Amino acid sequence: MTTPARHDLDELLAAWAHARRLPDADAERIRQAIVPAVPALEATWWSEFNSKLSTAITRATATPVPALAALGA
Amino acid sequence: MPPSRDDAAVFTRIFDQHRHAVHAYFLGRVADPELARDLVQETFLRAWRRLSELAPLPEERQRAWIFTVARNLAIDSYRASAARQAAEEALRHHAATQDTTVAGPHLQVELDERLAQLDAAIRRLPEDQRVILSMATAGGLTSREIGEALGEPAGTVRYRLSQARKQLAGERLDLEDEA
Repeated sequence: MTTPARHDLDELLAAWAHARRLPDADAERIRQAIVPAVPALEATWWSEFNSKLSTAITRATATPVPALAALGA
Repeated sequence: MPPSRDDAAVFTRIFDQHRHAVHAYFLGRVADPELARDLVQETFLRAWRRLSELAPLPEERQRAWIFTVARNLAIDSYRASAARQAAEEALRHHAATQDTTVAGPHLQVELDERLAQLDAAIRRLPEDQRVILSMATAGGLTSREIGEALGEPAGTVRYRLSQARKQLAGERLDLEDEA
């Protein structure tokens, strides 16, 4: 059975725990101090990647000159 | 090699999962809130540096790993006399400087006083009881989880928790009149 005193102790302990808990803002400061910023991709990365990819595909699919000559082109 | 986004995400998940428990553990061990925060940071810094070892572990073994580090850091902090003095100093004035977020100035003052009394009573508990009480209340851990963290049987944790509550109730007999 829960006595009034025990009930009161539970409430007080809950308040104590709330007051002692690590605030989220402090936790975030700690996390940021530990985890170095992950470097972001440069703004031009995606367009450069697309450009290189397109060039590679063009080269890979182009018919080589000796082959064209053999065909009498 | 710079950390990847995945590393940061994995670490953040582990950090969020265990930060309250680790902080509660250090509150029970060192009393000084500033020192407790520093020790939390040092614990998780070590976790970050050994993330490749820690991340694949199941949750209960992650907890055990983290608390092994935490225990070692707490022992180291005891050995540093400056830290011990800071903790003792904090014990003397910490109880009077806490604030909470409950409405009403009169009720707030009353609650502050009672929290200060409770804080002082908690500080008088034997350390093993104080740590477990802090982990259970401020850390929100079950007896089984505390046992996993500290390497103690859950039954022992429950017994110590019960002893702690009994002692607090004994020290706060005025509660019966106030309720």
